[in-house]
Amino acid sequence: MAPASGFRTLERQRKAVSPGKEQEYPEAQNLTAPHIESFNSIWEPAGPRTPALVELAMELVGEQVVFDGKANVDSPRGTKIAFWVDRLRLDHPALSSRETRSANRLVYPTECRQRGISYRGRLAGVLHYRVDDGSEQTEERNFGQLPVMVRSNRCNLQNMGPADLIRQHEEPGEMGGYFIVNGNEKVVRLLIAQRRNHVLAIQRPSYGSRGPGFTPFATQIRCVRKDQTSQTITMHYLSTGSLLLRFSLRKQEYMVPVTLVMRALVGATDREIFESIVGGDADNIFVRDRVELLLRAGKEYSVYTREQALAYLGDKFRVVMYAADDATNVDIGRLLLDRMVMVHLDDHRDKLNMVAHMARKLYAVVSGECREDNPDAQQMQEVYMPGHLYLALIKERVEDYLLAIRAELGKDARNGKIDLFNNRYLSKLFGRVSGDIGQKAQYFLATGNLVTRTGLDMQQMSGYTILAEKLNYLRYLSHFRCIHRGAFFAELKTTGVRKLLPEGWGFLCPVHTPDGSPCGLLNHLAHKCRLTCVVEETTDVENVLVRLGVAPGMPSPALHDAELLTVQLDGRIVGYCSERVAHRIAQQLRVLKLQQQKQQQKQQQDAQAGPREGFGIPFNMEIGLVPRSTGGQLPGLFLFTTPARFVRPVTHLATQQMDHVGSFEQVYMEIACLDEDVRPGVTTHQEVVPTNILSAVANLTPFCDFNQSPRNMYQCQMGKQTMGTPMQSYPYRTDNKLYRLQTGQTPICRPRIYDAYGVDGYPNGANAVVAVISYTGYDMEDAMILNKSGYERGFGYGTIYKTEYIDLGKFRKSGDPVTMHFGIGRDMLANESIMDRIDVDGLPFPGVRVQSGDALYAVIDDVRGRTKVFKYKGENGYVETVRLLASGLEDELQVVALTFRIPRSPDIGDKFSSRHGQKGVCSQKFPAVDMPFTESGMQPDVIINPHAFPSRMTIGMFVESIAAKAGALHGVCQDATPFQFTEANTAADYFGEQLRQAGYNYHGSEPMYSGVTGQEMRADIYIGVVYYQRLRHMVGDKYQVRTTGPINPLTLQPVKGRKRGGGIRLGEMERDALIAHGAAYFLQDRLMNCSDYSLAYVCRKCGSVLAPIAVPATSHVVDLGAPGSRANGNDVRFAGLSATEARAIMASSPTVTSSSAVPMGKGPLDLVCRLCDDAEGITMVALPYVFRYLATELMSMNMKVTLDVK
Amino acid sequence: MIAEVPTMAIDMVLFNENTSVLADEFFAHRLGLVPLVSTSVDQFKYSRDCTCGEYCKECSVEFTLHVKCTEPGTRVVHSSELISSNKDVVPVVDDNGRGVILLKLSKGQEINVHCVAKKGVAKEHAKWSPCAAVGFEYDPHNNLKHLDYWFEKGIKEEWPLSKNAEEETENDPSAPFDYNAEPTTFYFNVETIGSLDPQAVVIKATRVLQEKLGALQMALEEDQHPDTNANMDEADPWV
Repeated sequence: MAPASGFRTLERQRKAVSPGKEQEYPEAQNLTAPHIESFNSIWEPAGPRTPALVELAMELVGEQVVFDGKANVDSPRGTKIAFWVDRLRLDHPALSSRETRSANRLVYPTECRQRGISYRGRLAGVLHYRVDDGSEQTEERNFGQLPVMVRSNRCNLQNMGPADLIRQHEEPGEMGGYFIVNGNEKVVRLLIAQRRNHVLAIQRPSYGSRGPGFTPFATQIRCVRKDQTSQTITMHYLSTGSLLLRFSLRKQEYMVPVTLVMRALVGATDREIFESIVGGDADNIFVRDRVELLLRAGKEYSVYTREQALAYLGDKFRVVMYAADDATNVDIGRLLLDRMVMVHLDDHRDKLNMVAHMARKLYAVVSGECREDNPDAQQMQEVYMPGHLYLALIKERVEDYLLAIRAELGKDARNGKIDLFNNRYLSKLFGRVSGDIGQKAQYFLATGNLVTRTGLDMQQMSGYTILAEKLNYLRYLSHFRCIHRGAFFAELKTTGVRKLLPEGWGFLCPVHTPDGSPCGLLNHLAHKCRLTCVVEETTDVENVLVRLGVAPGMPSPALHDAELLTVQLDGRIVGYCSERVAHRIAQQLRVLKLQQQKQQQKQQQDAQAGPREGFGIPFNMEIGLVPRSTGGQLPGLFLFTTPARFVRPVTHLATQQMDHVGSFEQVYMEIACLDEDVRPGVTTHQEVVPTNILSAVANLTPFCDFNQSPRNMYQCQMGKQTMGTPMQSYPYRTDNKLYRLQTGQTPICRPRIYDAYGVDGYPNGANAVVAVISYTGYDMEDAMILNKSGYERGFGYGTIYKTEYIDLGKFRKSGDPVTMHFGIGRDMLANESIMDRIDVDGLPFPGVRVQSGDALYAVIDDVRGRTKVFKYKGENGYVETVRLLASGLEDELQVVALTFRIPRSPDIGDKFSSRHGQKGVCSQKFPAVDMPFTESGMQPDVIINPHAFPSRMTIGMFVESIAAKAGALHGVCQDATPFQFTEANTAADYFGEQLRQAGYNYHGSEPMYSGVTGQEMRADIYIGVVYYQRLRHMVGDKYQVRTTGPINPLTLQPVKGRKRGGGIRLGEMERDALIAHGAAYFLQDRLMNCSDYSLAYVCRKCGSVLAPIAVPATSHVVDLGAPGSRANGNDVRFAGLSATEARAIMASSPTVTSSSAVPMGKGPLDLVCRLCDDAEGITMVALPYVFRYLATELMSMNMKVTLDVK
Repeated sequence: MIAEVPTMAIDMVLFNENTSVLADEFFAHRLGLVPLVSTSVDQFKYSRDCTCGEYCKECSVEFTLHVKCTEPGTRVVHSSELISSNKDVVPVVDDNGRGVILLKLSKGQEINVHCVAKKGVAKEHAKWSPCAAVGFEYDPHNNLKHLDYWFEKGIKEEWPLSKNAEEETENDPSAPFDYNAEPTTFYFNVETIGSLDPQAVVIKATRVLQEKLGALQMALEEDQHPDTNANMDEADPWV
């Protein structure tokens, strides 16, 4: 076994004291790469020969055209203005120009976080317009402040090393990848998308019910434009034999016959259509017959030429395409094909080939020649990258801006205000239209809601962003690695999408998914899995393909060769070849790709920018060769170089080089896991290390290969709920609630990856001496006993930081003059209890102790001329920091952030867990003298019950226990990387031997003595060192107790909710249990006396609780005291009194009369039944108040409730 | 030895100034755990037994610590910098004379505290414990068979004998087992944190034990003398 990496304590200390320029943990930086790289590619070229995505997007937005409607000689529509936007750029976050007091103009993330504002840069572009055929005019437009991703190429922290980052009050290893919106760190979630530019065969029953003739069969392709926006088209198979193309335009679905599209694309003749679909497989009767049917069905449109087809389409789509007024139908038809059909391709011939391929695959599925694809398998998936999504949003907003200008111009044209030759008019008009894209983007990030006109080809409209909670390092990390299947699938009743499929091996972690409703939908990327982000140049690849023997174009039926495979590169049909050749090409391409990579590395080492040798084969290219099979996937050679794909590193065995493998090709590759899995001649690749399939968090479970698998899943959850060390920059954070473990330690026993990700800087727990023993019974049912001395020495001691913003601005309307100032007026200066805690500036002294109800800060109110003192609400704590927040634009301090420090030492009821999904609640803090101890005097810090193990089978915890014990005895750090031990070389032997050398029992047990009697215990006890985490669930946040308290005004029952001081519901099931026990008195106590006990008047005659009513006493007041006028001596004065008060009054004066009762203040009252019109039957009963409410409600439904009172 | 041997430890801390990175309560906790030389602990009264209001010389020792870092770099504050009001009760220092590190200050940070050390026992708080760990063993050869060793191959290979085993001999396994044997020899291994030396701890612990036994005996005798209750002999003394 390899020696462990060691604690590196001194090395880390050195680096912490004098941080350098280089990132200490480069692997940790890679975790957020998908976010940062995709954001970067918007603004700067991601590939060597490709422009920045934003430029491509602006090109695709195109121009808008308006006519002023003033007919002239040249044009009946009038003068034409065309306008478009380009050179959209994003500046680094900086102060606004209105702010004139600061010398340093740059804004850094820490300021935004602390002030609760957004980290944004100015988005600007150039608006071009041309009137008629005049010269092009330009105008600089400001599109507002756009949120900037931290550590992207638009962030002021980009390229900073630890030393500079610390100077900017960031973490030394700040990874970025998030946006700061209103002080919150927001992450755009990675979402699974359908693999782009690849035809997917689908069989879905719901397709059959779309309309008459529809069948469950369809093929679908998600085409992605150059700017990474997508357009999905679906081809449906109809039972009539015809095919329909379905696409959605502005959230509206359209169906177009395939023949029409093919005709319109290149003016294909029937023969061309026939040949392109049938291909070399001329003897396939099924396909030939269908194509014949297809062509016949296409005849009904009487469209024969390309022009006719385009005009037909243009005519139908004129309105929805928002085309220019002067565009002909043919123009619009062409625009439709460009915008909607196979948008990843430019050339119409390529588009035709791809449509034909789609049709061919559809026929193949229908005939059973190939099987439908599984859209839930990673093979058919890629990712919606955050940057690409962000760009799509920006692009649509620019489009909206242009459309808004167009609408404005159109409005002016209608009421004749338009004057296209007046630049001042135009300028004013452009200014009138709101183009605040930044605000819209900020809304998107803050809420996660996608507001879109076109739908952006996305399946969900909300839930795109998550708050990156800094609860601890692991939780924070996993926000960037989590990948969601889509909100749509969460509601799906079938569980197929949640299944763990073998296709995901190495890309998605099999362990790290939550249990419960998001199980299997919310996955996490394996820690070595990367997402491609570079747009590659592929002309070289095509040249190579042709050289290697790919015949260009589509195979012709004349070849009569059904065995020919198509070769596709990024969804473009390059050509065809035989299967044998395809195999050879695939092999050669891989070799070329690896050679290329080697050369590039060499060139980088030599640092010579010499001419590039060989071919430009991108090393992220996927070479997916689908071999021919019976009823399997449609064969072909599919090459992918596009961004947003999953790739992962594996070793290429022949060259021992690192190869990147994608999720499409992996299915058809031979990748061995361990050395013994290698099959000579068959296996081409091998895993680098077996742990590469696990996510970063799952990898941190020590010896997880010894555990039962669900326990590892639980640990992934619990690791993320641990109260640990989320950050080192506590003084510069204003998060709502921050947890901190004061006495964190580095685990003695940790996987190698622990060091690679720098988790030591963010400890999550402490090494505890754990005895597995049943001692006193306080460790039953997952309870655990803590050693009181250990607790007193600081075991698990934690702190919570809470921050409260105080904004005096919210007391006035914006624009009103400032009337409230922080400070203490003369009226308060003499008040010592206040002056003790509040300074003259009105703010508390840092470090002062606060309890609920204490004066916290003071404000002078100009309007009232008085000082208002605000009180602290919440737990006992201390004022940690007082932050004065303002920008250079404000004249006076109005916003203050107070950070409170709340100490939370471990308490009975707090939750702890080991790193093996073994959680427990502290049940007792035992005095040290009463704890059992070993012969060397060691006492356990934690006692857990042996019953926690048999059913859960967390053997990893036992191994950790002896490993860390041996490590502690020898003073070494133990390597806990999984998959290191074998049956021949077991962990128990390895660590047992170490223990024996230290003079301890081989198996980790020791004789122990009872702490109470001093007697040696009968059995030896398993005792060792286990790393324990303190979970954030603490009784302090949860206990709920109430004697009396607030009640619901409607029902008079206690309110619910801990925050409001409510009660705990005794529900139906609890009630059933009490009935079953015959606990009648207790039941009445709970459900009535302690809840909504009330006294009510009932009329015995009519049985109504509602009819008795109090009326002003009539003139015979004197008689009121006489017996008989009222039954039982009941009295109105009890109305509104509680049960106890009422009883007390009744007890004190048993012979009450109404003449003495005047609680309503007006005068004596009489009780009368409104139904019986007398007072004879009125009597008082005790009722739950809701019963009266029920009776009232029923009355409103015309139902009467009658009580039979005896 | 763990719980009831009294020592001195800092019990109250008054913060005049704390601009260090450690929170007040956290630093106070650290101060409490600083071992103080407690050889003269017997001169002091327990605070609760003392006649003074809050604390006095009879029951406590005062310490002050005032350090400000004025130079660039890190200023390490050691426990030896605590200034005691009583020369007998001072922080325990190691060989280099500095004691434990209390905290680190960077330029401009200051700590100014006034501490009061009191006499106490570890029953109340672990900081008053003079011991780190107390080893305890009897019957190293398991002659009395109080313990069932669990083993896979053999007891001898898997259970190494402790050092104390040299002091005793192992019973002949073929000899008949003596059911009435009682442990007679007890091995203690006392390791202290420096406030008292191990010898003193053992002696003091024995004295505490003696006092307790004495008190118990007194109580029993009082109960047994038939001055108030004549037929105590027959009655259960605990009722």
